Amino acid sequence: MMRTLPIAVVALALGFASLPSATGQAPPSFKVDPLWPRPLPDHWLLGSVTGVAVDAQDHIWVVHRGYDSMTARTEIGAATSPRTSEECCVPAPPVLEFDGAGTLVGHWGGPGDKYQWPASPGGLTVDRKGHVWIAAAGPPEIPGSANATTGRGRGTATPASGTNAAGRSSAPPKPQDAHVLKFSRTGAFLLQIGQAGKPEASDSTTGLNMPASVSIDTAANEVYVADGFRNHRVVVFDAETGAYKRHWGGTGEKPDDAPQPPYDPDAAPPRQFRSVGCARVARDGKVYVCDRGNDRIQVFDKAGKYLAQGFVSKSTRGTGSVWDLAFSSDPRQQFIYVADGHDQKVFILRRDTLETIGSFGDGGRYPGRFYSVGSIAVDSKGNIYTGETLEGKRVQKFVPTKNAK
Amino acid sequence: MTRRSLTVTACVVVTLGTLGVLERALERTAAAQTRSGIVAPRFEVDPLWPKPLPNHWVVGQAIGLSIDAQDHVWIVHRDNLLGANEAAASQVPPTASCCAKAPPVLEFDPAGNLVGHWGGPGEGYDWPASNHGITIDHKENVWIGANEGSDAHLLKFTKAGKFLMQFGKPGQSKGSNDTENFGRPAKIFVDAKTNEAYIADGYGNKRVVVIDADTGTFKRYWGAYGNKPDDTSLGNYNAAAPAAQQFRTPVHCAELSHDGLLYVCDRPNDRIQIFRPDGRFVKEVFVAKTTLGDGSVWDIAFSKDPEQKYLYLADGKNEKIYVMLRESMEILTSFGDGGRQPGQFFAVHSIAVDSKGNLYTTETYEGRRLQKFVYKGLAPVTRMDQGTVWPR
Repeated sequence: MMRTLPIAVVALALGFASLPSATGQAPPSFKVDPLWPRPLPDHWLLGSVTGVAVDAQDHIWVVHRGYDSMTARTEIGAATSPRTSEECCVPAPPVLEFDGAGTLVGHWGGPGDKYQWPASPGGLTVDRKGHVWIAAAGPPEIPGSANATTGRGRGTATPASGTNAAGRSSAPPKPQDAHVLKFSRTGAFLLQIGQAGKPEASDSTTGLNMPASVSIDTAANEVYVADGFRNHRVVVFDAETGAYKRHWGGTGEKPDDAPQPPYDPDAAPPRQFRSVGCARVARDGKVYVCDRGNDRIQVFDKAGKYLAQGFVSKSTRGTGSVWDLAFSSDPRQQFIYVADGHDQKVFILRRDTLETIGSFGDGGRYPGRFYSVGSIAVDSKGNIYTGETLEGKRVQKFVPTKNAK
Repeated sequence: MTRRSLTVTACVVVTLGTLGVLERALERTAAAQTRSGIVAPRFEVDPLWPKPLPNHWVVGQAIGLSIDAQDHVWIVHRDNLLGANEAAASQVPPTASCCAKAPPVLEFDPAGNLVGHWGGPGEGYDWPASNHGITIDHKENVWIGANEGSDAHLLKFTKAGKFLMQFGKPGQSKGSNDTENFGRPAKIFVDAKTNEAYIADGYGNKRVVVIDADTGTFKRYWGAYGNKPDDTSLGNYNAAAPAAQQFRTPVHCAELSHDGLLYVCDRPNDRIQIFRPDGRFVKEVFVAKTTLGDGSVWDIAFSKDPEQKYLYLADGKNEKIYVMLRESMEILTSFGDGGRQPGQFFAVHSIAVDSKGNLYTTETYEGRRLQKFVYKGLAPVTRMDQGTVWPR
């Protein structure tokens, strides 16, 4: 039973940075809905949110890392043995479905006999047929993704090991993720592409290596895999059979998995991808790829022919700026919204020029602010939904105030 | 969803008759989940308070909270624990435009604007290895505690951050019977009437210490039940075992009421012990007694009426605030739940009340927030556990 709390939507006008546009196009603006979604039932907690998506009914889907991203000693006392708290709290199931009002209407996920549940999920997407696709992207590569076993949260998070929840340090590590999963909207397993524990390099036609996210080209019935955190390519499969179709690397070249020097914003842009966080197909058939560590979006046609690139917050080092992107809901998809989990903001770009024309957000744990905003989606009304990973552990909703249909 | 009733064990050293009444009241609560005829202060979170910080500043573990006479809200937080992902602009070289570590002491006006900030190492004093607890006293001085391993001292500053005094020296603690140093002191309360400071001492020691607030001279100290403190390890807390005869570290708060009762947070022992100012034991009350680990009794604030009829208890393990009737120490209701949304908590650590009765909380670990809960007056209690209290 859901808790029935009355909701008053109090809007916060965010500090909105508007940049001059060469063509004078005004960027859309947004305000956070601080009371969305409604509180989860049963003392459930969100872990690190790695994916957010909107389906054809404007339901919002979230996947999160659950137990493995929780600090057992302090955060989930009702889920440990022995239990250390009375009722609060326990990890929510990994896949959650909310209706537009923010009410939890579905939940599922976790290990099963016929498939390999991710060591850590990455992005998720829901196709037009209502199938739910989840990238298996773990273990997380960003320091701090797996929590310290001390529970003290003192900035001493241990490197990710795949099973790093407190009290489980003796558990065998989960095999490294190298696959994507397809389920029905109620969680029935349908398809797995690639095998956990059997990562394959960027020239493989059968395997993957820590793919970051997936998206679907409905017209062609193809799945685009951003492959990923270890590989350096976009790879396309048949969305029904999982059969390999094609792949390409940065700037449309043959992908190269050779080690790369650290990102240097002053150096000539590399040809190869550094890390591939997303590959999203626009209505006009252009494919937009998040080259996170290189702070850029590269644009291709569906065959992988390189068309253009645009940099976003080019001076960003660390984990990079282009974590995920979504298109605006207008028919022409005039704008691209980029989730930058390192600068803690959402950038607004013109899709035609890839010019940054605005941004919103800032660091912090309050409504409208972010810690590691790493996933983003847009509904049919133009509302933006964001997911925060690491210790952000939230999904937030931003309502358009102007120019943002 | 079936809600288990709140587990409350009241171990009250009063007449058996009173105890019986209390037990019957608790049974009624458990049975009905509604509290017919009972009223209690009601609160709603203000989801947009405080206002965003300037300069892309972010706050670390928010480990202390105090309200001054102007209803300004003061916090101390652990800026030093903000990591490379969260404080990317404070890295050398910066790796992103956001964010930077806010100074450790922050002052907000009632509207939630940041109006002051200072803190950190300086000449003439030992800034704590780990900040813990902040208190603004009746002379408008700012006290800060310290809970890292070697911390054994308190600091006193003006509201503008000018250093005034240090009590105790890092690394010099000689345990719970030391009369010059503290043992990782958690929180300070200053009694305006006597100019005495009550120190919850602390993470290392197992006692309450009373000092002269001007000179720092030790006046008296005591352990659980008023016993002489003993630093022998108590091992892990066990709810089924006989009540520990010593505090179990950390001793996390010591708050004096207007009517001269000192409420001590014996955090991992899941109990409040109540004393007279001279250390005479009055009674104890267990709260959420099955809670293990960090314990349930984190911090206490009193309601703003002259009688201080209600006591608010922050439980950073069960992630809620209990509203208690101070006279009987009965839990009337509670609110809050785990989570990162407004009105939810991760490790709610500190609690304070302003002159209008509004309640403020800070969260440590990965909560890292200051939140405001607006006082909505006395209202009938309809749920023992209110969950997340959003604006109606």
